[in-house]
Amino acid sequence: MLKRIMNNIKDTWDVFAAEVRRVFSDKTTIVIFFLATVVYPPLYYYIYHLEMLTEMPVAVVDLSQGKDAKRFVHKLDATPEVKVAYRCANLADAELLLREHEVRSIFLLSKDYDEMIAHKRTGTVTVVTDISSFIYYKNALMGGSNVLLDEMKTTQLVHQAAEGVTGVQAEATIEPVGYEDVKLYNPGGGYASYFIPALLMLVVHQTLLFGICVLCGDANENRKALRLIPPRLRSRSVYRVTLGRLLCFLFIYFPITLLDLWIIPYLFGMPQLGRPLDVMLLVLPYVIAITCFAMTLGNIFARERLSMLLCCLFFSVILFFLSGVVWPQSNMPKFWYVVSYFFPSTPGIQGFVRISSMGATLHEVRHELIALWLQAGVYFGTACMSIRFIKRFRR
Amino acid sequence: MRRIWHSPRYLVILTLAVALSFVFFATMTQEGQPQKLHVAVVDLDHSYLSRRLCHELEATQGVTIAAVYDNHTEARQAMQRGEIFAFYEIPAGTYNELLQFHAPRFCLYTNQSYLLAGSLSYRQLATMGKLAAGAVQREVLRKKGVKDDAIMGMIQPVALDTHPIGNTKASYCIYLMTTLIPGIIALIAILHTAYVIGRERQERTVKSWMRKAGGNGLKAMVGKAFPYTCYYTMLLVVANFIMYGPMGMPFEGSWLLLTLHGLLMITAGQCASIFLMGCVPDPSVAMSLTSAYATLSFTMCGFSFPVDAMPLPMQAFSEVFPLRHYFLVMRDIAFFGNGMEVLWPQTAKLVAFGVLAIIGSAMFNRQFERRTAC
Repeated sequence: MLKRIMNNIKDTWDVFAAEVRRVFSDKTTIVIFFLATVVYPPLYYYIYHLEMLTEMPVAVVDLSQGKDAKRFVHKLDATPEVKVAYRCANLADAELLLREHEVRSIFLLSKDYDEMIAHKRTGTVTVVTDISSFIYYKNALMGGSNVLLDEMKTTQLVHQAAEGVTGVQAEATIEPVGYEDVKLYNPGGGYASYFIPALLMLVVHQTLLFGICVLCGDANENRKALRLIPPRLRSRSVYRVTLGRLLCFLFIYFPITLLDLWIIPYLFGMPQLGRPLDVMLLVLPYVIAITCFAMTLGNIFARERLSMLLCCLFFSVILFFLSGVVWPQSNMPKFWYVVSYFFPSTPGIQGFVRISSMGATLHEVRHELIALWLQAGVYFGTACMSIRFIKRFRR
Repeated sequence: MRRIWHSPRYLVILTLAVALSFVFFATMTQEGQPQKLHVAVVDLDHSYLSRRLCHELEATQGVTIAAVYDNHTEARQAMQRGEIFAFYEIPAGTYNELLQFHAPRFCLYTNQSYLLAGSLSYRQLATMGKLAAGAVQREVLRKKGVKDDAIMGMIQPVALDTHPIGNTKASYCIYLMTTLIPGIIALIAILHTAYVIGRERQERTVKSWMRKAGGNGLKAMVGKAFPYTCYYTMLLVVANFIMYGPMGMPFEGSWLLLTLHGLLMITAGQCASIFLMGCVPDPSVAMSLTSAYATLSFTMCGFSFPVDAMPLPMQAFSEVFPLRHYFLVMRDIAFFGNGMEVLWPQTAKLVAFGVLAIIGSAMFNRQFERRTAC
């Protein structure tokens, strides 16, 4: 019995050692595993590190020229979101600036703006905005509505004072019930804090997937898939081969993943609310699930070294959307929601974003953990079967 | 050309990939903006006011109440589990304070680590908060004898009237598909070109390939890439036709210009791919670098995070991505209806990518000559 166990361990160890040698002798795998994972995260961090667009240039067309209108424009210029870059005499001039992208939005104050306010009616500010990037739209809307709220309060206080109501009583009249808003986890609404955690997980997923697929494709292309299995093991059970390979990728990728998910964000001062242990416990099934998933795909579909890279790279964009970070999971069509759980990236990204950005503990991400372990188990089985598939068809 | 005919496998797979992406984004974002986002209420007041607020929230299109909790911790944990994106907390005694005119306040918590869902649910809940205040104010004013038509001006003295250009309903379907689908087609075209060049090198058939091209690297490269240029431009035209035609996305400008720039974008991408394949001798490493370049173009085109908000060196770096130029052109043609007088800088930059192909082929030529000399 003991001898059998020792034999099994020895077999697994042989496969492990052979696989490690193979990874380090392949230039492409080294580029994908070690270069991409070290270059991508800092690069993306650098691209997004300003977090948001500030002082977006806008044009103002003030047809009223009254004191209320001027105060509105003044406050608009003071917001961090927009900067009044041009003051135009008419809408046509402003439209020309917008067409030539000198400004991103136009704020038009109607001719009767002051008059309407003086008559206790509603004065309208029309905003025409570029929406080619939603951030332009958001900035125009945020800048505009912040000024709007402040102006509403100022005007209403003036109206109340005219009726003899002042001080605390006036405040309570114009805002009988109010709310405090608390923006949790990413108070500034910054892009880097939102995008980078999910992206880091996706980088890990895609580099590991493509690296393994290149290795499998190489083996299939040169008809050496069988030769790579140590001769003693060829006719025997395949689980030792799968296990040995899995341990090899786990050995290489576990440290890389922790570097990407913990050390690089730490160096760049990204928010890290979760506990390192929780991250590790999430990463373990994540790497196992991706490795087994990749081995299954690679063994069956990767006929050439680069075919998977060619055919599946576009899927990175889709995987990002499937993860539910952009489009909420509760709003996905049922079909895509189910499909999303075939990929380790979905529970991985969801789990990591919640632990790292939102300070969740393992208790809150238990569904994701269960999903990852389930995937790990199922894909381990399919990876074993895929080796059997190679044996049968390629011999 | 003969090679494509002999094994059209990849062409078929990649065409299916484009079709899959198209169907994916069209079905995923068919709502335009996410509707009925899950939010919650922590009701500590259990009063007429809190229940009325719940009813009104439930009646809006943008959000739906997933749960009503009895304490803050439960709601926070639900947020961390990803079940809700925002919640209102109504403290005990709010209604009494309101009746006594003490201007009570409640709290609105939103989860901003999901930027889209967080900000949309914030907007809905903040509007409801304002409306609740407005409703109370209206009651007070009515009781003071102010007429209904005068009340509106008193409650809301200033209003914003927003008009986004082109995409008037701020639909995510239009926003994402008009850039992502051409982006995916360009990515596939870039990779496919890199792949077919790499394949020649891997199979050591460069010699016969170069002999057919009369020993001219540029001719060989162009000859190799041209069928793919035609094919992927055709796919792009079909995709654009479906989007701007039957799917009814806004389109103001000229079809001819959009198609011309589509062709230029695909060609420019292929030029970049020839450059990378020519400069890096190992075909697999070159292909990995091409993949990295192609993936980056989605970020660097600036459709999600604008290029103006990136640091200066990155703004300059964005110029080397054809998708960046296509995105600017598409915006000008489809949304603004601009003509060549505004577009020409982008056109010129896309044409300038040809230089990359010339350098790439020259490098390739030199490597080839050195190898044959050996």
